[in-house]
Amino acid sequence: MTAKEFYTRMGDGKRVTMTREKIMDDLQAGAADAADMGAIPQISDDDLERLADIICDPNRAVSVEPGNEVVLTYDIGQLDFTGDNGNSGAGVDMGRLEAALLHERALGSDTFELAHSDYSIKPVKPVIAMEMQTMEEIQQEIIIPYFYGAMPNMGLYYAPDGPYGNPADLMREFKIDESMEQSEKAASHLARDIEYVGNKIYAASADGFDFDTIASAGDADFVGSLNGIEALRKANPQMYINSGMSGESVMGIHGAIEYKGNVVAGMFPHQQVKMCEMAGANVFGAVCNTNTSKSLAWNMGRAVTFVKECVKQASIPVHCDLGMGVGGIPMFETPPVDAVTRCSKAMVEIAHVDGV
Amino acid sequence: MVAYKVPGILAAVDAARAAKMPANAIIDAMGDGMTEVGVLFERGRLFLPHVLSAAAGMTKAMEVLEPEMKAAGGEAQAKKASVVMGTVEGDVHDIGKSICSTMLQCAGFDVHDLGRDVPKQAFIDECKNGCTMCGMSALMTTTMTVQKDVIEMLKAEGIRDKVVVMVGGAPVTQAYADKIGADIYGESASETTSKVKDL
Repeated sequence: MTAKEFYTRMGDGKRVTMTREKIMDDLQAGAADAADMGAIPQISDDDLERLADIICDPNRAVSVEPGNEVVLTYDIGQLDFTGDNGNSGAGVDMGRLEAALLHERALGSDTFELAHSDYSIKPVKPVIAMEMQTMEEIQQEIIIPYFYGAMPNMGLYYAPDGPYGNPADLMREFKIDESMEQSEKAASHLARDIEYVGNKIYAASADGFDFDTIASAGDADFVGSLNGIEALRKANPQMYINSGMSGESVMGIHGAIEYKGNVVAGMFPHQQVKMCEMAGANVFGAVCNTNTSKSLAWNMGRAVTFVKECVKQASIPVHCDLGMGVGGIPMFETPPVDAVTRCSKAMVEIAHVDGV
Repeated sequence: MVAYKVPGILAAVDAARAAKMPANAIIDAMGDGMTEVGVLFERGRLFLPHVLSAAAGMTKAMEVLEPEMKAAGGEAQAKKASVVMGTVEGDVHDIGKSICSTMLQCAGFDVHDLGRDVPKQAFIDECKNGCTMCGMSALMTTTMTVQKDVIEMLKAEGIRDKVVVMVGGAPVTQAYADKIGADIYGESASETTSKVKDL
């Protein structure tokens, strides 16, 4: 008699079937990889069994048990509605007010954000007056906490988009010191822009700021963002600041840049969260990247291991980033609901995140 | 043990030469060291500047060792293949591709990095001018299709079978690489480099 097989996914979203034994093997391997990479403890055998139960659940969608509900929020503002299928959205054209109210009143969002379609700090600068006006208008109608959201996206400060030399080009010419210097200058510039945009939008009645994909340009991007958050906290003690990361590990493009005496390159979520705490963030957005060549079980075991340790070490709430290609979820334009709900349940009930 | 700082590498090479270690053995040992640096980079223990520094140290050491090897009757190390790299037209995401270019350069390939938002024809022109490998990165679902366009253009030019095509980027998967007829899919810069070296 052949062993029972369960429908599950690969990291690219492909439907596959696996036995529970194979699912357990992949969960263990993924968890072991995270423990090795992050030098953190493995999750327990009991946790692995519970993850296997979640994956093997016969229902297409799963959910948390009553009482385990957590805060739900969305990033990129209206873009999940207005973007088309080629851009991870629903292709439904609407204004930012309508999108905000739909998230509040139809999608059960506990917080939401205003976002510019060019979703980065730098391009928001020249249109900040318009963003302030829109923020004020939407705040007249929305009830849930309403933030402003943008990516630090420090890549925009490097040539050819910005005034500083591109580290990638400089390093290929072995100009390593010059590359580091340019990164540091770009980080200072980013921090100033964060302070400018953040203070302006907060003055226009934003409840807070959601930093999306911090450190996407590497370690100097992380330091620039942390310095920007620190400046915002100092100026606005009541401001709600969500610091969402871009990846499970901070890329060492500079390699030695520090925040408060800590080299940030190579930091994993449980270390990243401590930096965000020191900077004054209220919430940390943990990210774990999906490997498209591995199974959902492997990716889930790995993501839960990273995030559980992060939650354990955090002194502020941790909201897990769960979407296309992160949090164990397959890298797929429209992430399959079976995988999204399983990863969400695992993050809430095993990793004990405070929000999604 | 590996070293990535140039003075340390040169000091180690000097010590090996003083101990009468043959030049080709020193070069082999440095090659092993670079592989270890790549592994440490992959594991997040070393970072890009460290990889570059190690490569710079190896390049400087080779300036001394290659003449010695030739004098001893050996042959200079053959240059590896020329690779054109770029982020496809319409896409401005640069970092992953740049890391991959750097890793390939450190592995001894002649890398022609065209940057980002690279016109399709520019990849074709480089392949017609001697590049035998073509690496394309795309970070968006809206631009990953350009990788397929370039493969079709290589076919139309009659040079597809002369070029190894490698694709990567966040939305790109092995299944997609197979579907569009690419030769190599790289989950990461290190994996891509490793696959290219194994060809």
